Amino acid sequence: MNGIFEVNYAAFSVFAALLITEIMGAVVLLVTWPARSKVLDYAIPVWEVTGTFGAFWVVTGVFAYPALLVPVASIFAPLLVVFLLLWVARSSSIAFSEFITKKGWLDDAKLFRAYAVSTIVSGLVVLVLLSSLVGGQGVDLASGSFSIISWVTPGNVVFVIGTLALGVGLAPVFFDLASLRRLVLPMACAGVVLSVLSYWLMSPGLLTPSMAVPVFLTLLTGVLYLWPRTVRVVTNKAIFLVVLSVIIFSLQPLVYPKVIGQALEVDAVTTAGAMADAFVSITLVGGLLLALMLVLYVRIATRGPSGPDVS
Amino acid sequence: MVFDPATMLLFVRFLFAFTIGSHILLVSTSIALVFLISVADFLSIRGHDPAYEALARRLTKVLVISFGVGTASGIVMAVELVGLFPSFMTLVASTGAIVLFYAEISAFFLEVLALVLYVYYWNAFKGRYTHWMVSLFVVAGTLASAVFITMVNAWMNTPAGFDATTFINSGFKTISGVQPYAAFFTASTVNQVFHVVVTTLLAGTMVIGSYFAYWYVKSRDATERTICSKALKILGITAVIAIVLAGISGSEQMGNLLLHQPLKYAALEANIVNGTNLPDRFFGTIVNGSYVGGFSVPGSQALLAGFETGVSALPGLNQFPSSQWPPLFVTTTFDLMIAGGIVVGLFLLVYFVALLTKKRPYESRRLLYLWIPAAVLAMVVYQLGWATDEVGRQPWIVYNVMTVAQAANTSEALLVPGILIVAFYLIVIPTTFYFYARIFQGSKAKESAVT
Repeated sequence: MNGIFEVNYAAFSVFAALLITEIMGAVVLLVTWPARSKVLDYAIPVWEVTGTFGAFWVVTGVFAYPALLVPVASIFAPLLVVFLLLWVARSSSIAFSEFITKKGWLDDAKLFRAYAVSTIVSGLVVLVLLSSLVGGQGVDLASGSFSIISWVTPGNVVFVIGTLALGVGLAPVFFDLASLRRLVLPMACAGVVLSVLSYWLMSPGLLTPSMAVPVFLTLLTGVLYLWPRTVRVVTNKAIFLVVLSVIIFSLQPLVYPKVIGQALEVDAVTTAGAMADAFVSITLVGGLLLALMLVLYVRIATRGPSGPDVS
Repeated sequence: MVFDPATMLLFVRFLFAFTIGSHILLVSTSIALVFLISVADFLSIRGHDPAYEALARRLTKVLVISFGVGTASGIVMAVELVGLFPSFMTLVASTGAIVLFYAEISAFFLEVLALVLYVYYWNAFKGRYTHWMVSLFVVAGTLASAVFITMVNAWMNTPAGFDATTFINSGFKTISGVQPYAAFFTASTVNQVFHVVVTTLLAGTMVIGSYFAYWYVKSRDATERTICSKALKILGITAVIAIVLAGISGSEQMGNLLLHQPLKYAALEANIVNGTNLPDRFFGTIVNGSYVGGFSVPGSQALLAGFETGVSALPGLNQFPSSQWPPLFVTTTFDLMIAGGIVVGLFLLVYFVALLTKKRPYESRRLLYLWIPAAVLAMVVYQLGWATDEVGRQPWIVYNVMTVAQAANTSEALLVPGILIVAFYLIVIPTTFYFYARIFQGSKAKESAVT
């Protein structure tokens, strides 16, 4: 049990859950434009929170693994630059699109589509990065470099396809799109099978009994959406986000105790001594503050009218 | 290899200076916006004033743009720091400086969640005052973020909380004696935070004010003019207070330099030789060990230093090896900063006198025209202040511990991403300010009730 790893991984789980739901929304925006109001009601307030959780994960990561900072940054430098440019495009396009009035060729629809495309592609970049952290393919630790050609292996490709299938399968649940409900179970099942297959292809040792938890929760979410009595529960965004965060959190055997294709022991590179104590203390204080703000957020968000009603 | 390491080091220096110089344009205006929105919202509730309410509501849209682009820019800068200065960031990650970053991200959470609640759930609160109080959390989160980041810079100026000797002697391999919280209370922290907060607010206030001054003069719509005049009222008073505090905190800052960064102090004051009854020198340059041109005020430096710190023996460059001197043009940037600050101060003095003697000074066309160059000057002064602070610490990135050359990554692989980042800022900054104006003006038709 490595408490510092757990905190950092918990931050990642929330960030990933938020990003995945944004990607689901982005797919819906591109595929069924008429359903945009359901997506935008969610995405417009939340995109700022997603970025903040991303930054939180990165800062806790730097704090937790100081020795890894430079090697990881240099290995993944090209991916990080691409991700940054996409992230800037995503943030700028949605921020501008909220309030823009049509002038010439530029309008909110074009900016929302730019947001959707940049969010999906930045999500793909994150998947490439994560799969290489898990399986190690494409990473050359000796030279400190990354090769996308070496990354293209059956395990990684199936990992990306499986994750996308899960996203497409669960999107109708999250946004309560009844017209797409037939997709839910087939796509969720396919996503689960492909994801499990990808872990096995990366390294059979990654498949532990605890993998039953994310598999069960994912399928349960899909099934509960098809049962009229429980639709309201699974389409509640706060509940869905908590469940998705738990699913991702329970996938931690993929990166603990060893990471990058079992080449690096996490405990060996975790900060220790006075810095570890400081990490725990500040996490407690910051976590309490964050929890209070989130409670207030959920209370207000579930009570009153939302949307950029500031005009 | 096309570029040698020395050229790449110059590129790295330029790239980060350009990035942070662009980023603080966004930061200073964001801080001023947050402050202005909160005050305008409060005044709208207290006085049932629809013009203040319209001002607050319209500015929140601008704030969302500012926040979105500013956050993206902040992430670019964070990644840039790791890529450009890896050895420095390794030291940061292993000492209390990372605790400051962690505290900063916690404050950022407060800011973002409060901002989302304040902007997107304006009508979901039971009382207007309750909603307004959320804006105080946005202000607190924004200020705390700025304070913690400034603390990192203070730590770079006066490092604390680790055994620097062991670190240097081990060739930057052994970091020991770590005291994580010492970075919160370095010798320069309080002075620097005070000075940075007020000057950031001043620069942002002046820039935002210049837009309202311009829009007041340009607009023929009475409603728009009312809103502009209300904004200028708040911004004018804020700027007057901020410049007084900037003067006081700047003087305190020099006293702190004298005590804790004597070499930087000597370079800024152009003290070639140490002494006791030294003059203040302005607008000259140091050439071959002599101060050439400009003018001096006999004894004034010693007088001010004695008043600030009680110290009578003032340091000179001759007390330090020339290899450790910063580029001596900092004496010029320092002089320009002070002169520019005095000019902005004179403008605000006129504004303040007009405020006391006239009923509506913010509606004087002459003062409004003058506000625009004064705002440009205020931002230039602000940027010069940062340039003086950073160049004045050279060659060190962490004072007396690690030089910029030792910290920097001089790989040619940085060229393409670096050029992309420069291009990004050249596009994003003007676009963002253009959108500020467009979005603010775009919703003007909706306040027809405002008188």
